[in-house]
Amino acid sequence: MSYEQATIQSNSQGFRLGVAEKLTLGYIYPHAPVEIIMAHGFVPSLVRARPGVVGAFEASLQTFACSYTRNLFSQRANDQLPPLAALLFPGNTCDSLLNVGDIWRVRFPDDTVFRLTYPAANQGEAGVHFLAEEIRSLSNMLEKAFGLPFSLSEFEEAASLTRQFRESIQFLYASRAILPQVLPYSKLAALIHTFLMSPDQKSVTEVVRAASQAQRSLAKSKSLEPINRIRQQLLKGHLTRLTFAHDTDSPRIAVAGGMIDPGALVALLSAAGISENALVIDLLTFGFKTAFTRPCDMEGDPFESVARSILSSPLEPTQEGLEMRLSFVRDILTNLAIDGLVICEQSFCDPDEFEAPSLEAAASKSGVVVLRLPIDPELSDRERLGVRLQSFLETIKSRNQR
Amino acid sequence: MAEQEKRTEEKVYRQLRTNSLLQQIMFRYMLEGHAASENGRLAWITSGFPVEIPVAMGVGVNYPEQYGAVIGSQKVGPQICGFAEEMGYSQELCSYARSSIGAARYPEKSPLEGLPKPQALLACNNICGTVLRWYDAISEMTGAPVFLFDTPPTQGKQTPHHREYVRQSVMRLIDFLSTTFHTTFSEERLREVGNLSGKGIDLWTRCLKACRNRPSPLNCADRFLAMAPIVSLRGTELAVEFYQALLEEVEGRVAQGLGAIRDEKIRLLWDDIPPWFTIFRFFNGLAARGVVFPADTYTHAWSGSLSGADLVDSVVSVYSNVYLNKGLEAKVDKMCELIKEYSLDGFIMFSVRSCKRYSLGQLVSKELVMERTGVPGVVIEGDMVDSRLFNDAQIQTRIDALLEMFI
Repeated sequence: MSYEQATIQSNSQGFRLGVAEKLTLGYIYPHAPVEIIMAHGFVPSLVRARPGVVGAFEASLQTFACSYTRNLFSQRANDQLPPLAALLFPGNTCDSLLNVGDIWRVRFPDDTVFRLTYPAANQGEAGVHFLAEEIRSLSNMLEKAFGLPFSLSEFEEAASLTRQFRESIQFLYASRAILPQVLPYSKLAALIHTFLMSPDQKSVTEVVRAASQAQRSLAKSKSLEPINRIRQQLLKGHLTRLTFAHDTDSPRIAVAGGMIDPGALVALLSAAGISENALVIDLLTFGFKTAFTRPCDMEGDPFESVARSILSSPLEPTQEGLEMRLSFVRDILTNLAIDGLVICEQSFCDPDEFEAPSLEAAASKSGVVVLRLPIDPELSDRERLGVRLQSFLETIKSRNQR
Repeated sequence: MAEQEKRTEEKVYRQLRTNSLLQQIMFRYMLEGHAASENGRLAWITSGFPVEIPVAMGVGVNYPEQYGAVIGSQKVGPQICGFAEEMGYSQELCSYARSSIGAARYPEKSPLEGLPKPQALLACNNICGTVLRWYDAISEMTGAPVFLFDTPPTQGKQTPHHREYVRQSVMRLIDFLSTTFHTTFSEERLREVGNLSGKGIDLWTRCLKACRNRPSPLNCADRFLAMAPIVSLRGTELAVEFYQALLEEVEGRVAQGLGAIRDEKIRLLWDDIPPWFTIFRFFNGLAARGVVFPADTYTHAWSGSLSGADLVDSVVSVYSNVYLNKGLEAKVDKMCELIKEYSLDGFIMFSVRSCKRYSLGQLVSKELVMERTGVPGVVIEGDMVDSRLFNDAQIQTRIDALLEMFI
């Protein structure tokens, strides 16, 4: 399934839910408190940049707003967003998203817009408490605005769904890290996309089924043990030396870039005619971060539990702790036998663009070759990006043959 | 001599006598930074950081943003930013950050041979989120640890959990400084520094308010230069000394009816950071056309003093509620307030490509301010340090269009 197909399919699903069954609450930053949103009876749906959107931001945003926010704004101005009851912006993540939230309120006064502010410092329990109170405040606002109170039973159901999703998707990620041919990357991307657009039993069942199939096909090999070990280590954010058999003829690349959608990577690979098996892990992207967030604890205060879960996810470039992030990247590159790292940088994205030189240096020190790809949500330069990817893979191949 | 006096008299603007004192003070500040670095006690610090705490704990401070202004005003922004770009940093990133990274890479090729080497990097995100990533990059180059004083942006009134979180940041900061610089915290010393900081801010605020007079005793460039001590020497006797002298001169001008420019016709508000590389040419060019800027949103940002029985609580309140941490509505309110209080005829918004936190939203706030105040405004686009991003002709055309509305 192509990126565009996945988007259209998921959007049509979001539309159906939005109109016929439940209200849809769109969110922009991947670490939304989906369990709390679902506990209020909403469908939380990740609002993503879409290719082919005609620019309609010029009267409100300067061109140096990040391409992601420009795309979202244009979608809204062009009436291309799926029907949403409300939209959730993040605070304290990046300046573009923060300001665009304010601008949105002025330009589209009939839209219901909320902001959830995240801690950026590693302040332990103080950070958990802050985020828990922010989420509690969001919950109160949802109830006030829509008359939909928080339901503990719906929260428990939502927490169970996200747990199932994450466990299965983590297994698939870890499996692909060793044997990428176990599941096409496009299939992984579509599964994540569908869940993020509409987290329900149907989307979770699909993921669980894919994980079971992978497990069955791997049962006879000796890969299950290292796969489970990798999964646990990815969750902890620290990998140790692993030995596993892999195809040394085929290049193994990892992709990094804070705001990159797995679906966008599929489109790029497909356009360049590159085998999806080359992409071993989409480290630090939307997909990876969503997968490797610890499940929330069912005991105790739900708001604190969700805050703790969100803050357990892989560190964002918007947070304190660059050295920890780089150490994690080095672990992965070294221990998962990665040949090349593709660093995607969204135009005018401060977090992506600031971190790219550090990632590049870390990879180079680990003996991994690097390709930096400036990328925008429209994939407007797709042909050129494809050619660069092809050349990069050829370089790796010839390097491996030496 | 007579010829020289005549030339001075002919200039469209009046130079401040206190500029020479400013130069002396800033030179001393620079020497103190070098001495602190040599003694292993220097921190680089962002302009919105609660500087009173490191100062009270005996830590020397230098401001890379201010150094960025020096790079800009010496017109070497493109070259120094270029050093960072060679290292892989995108030209789309903040030019304060790029110039700082570039100068840290090649201090010998940079103005004043770069900033002295820091032993810690203290970032507060109440002015933007970029400071953390910028200091992370400097940390990789210098080995100095980064401390983030996290003040999440506020919406309306500051909530109790926000206060508590920022309070924890203060405690964490004290621990960090104690460990990094082997120093101790004393509330008594913080009160002394806080008092000095408050005195400096009070004097500075009085200088700013004097510009309500017609003619305005200060223009934009005057204030942008004179703000240096309130940014970098807050909490010191030096800052108080300077602002006492400045206030005396400003009040003298008011008493004599002397304006910052010779022939004040149009009074405008300036929004955002100035283009440092053309600051005199730009504002004096407008002064020649009778345009003065009695107020701006940038130099008015340093206004909160530490006070009260609970000083930590005061730090929490002052540094969480700075101008750039409060959102679009607060910015619009501030602009409208300044336009009214300073009897301004219009406004110019400088859309600084480097500064998303300050600049994104200007297209919308321009409309809101015009609607609320009834005065016209214009948005011009460029950068504060990187002159490659400044199209002079395009900017002049836009300003001409604004000025035509006053004729």
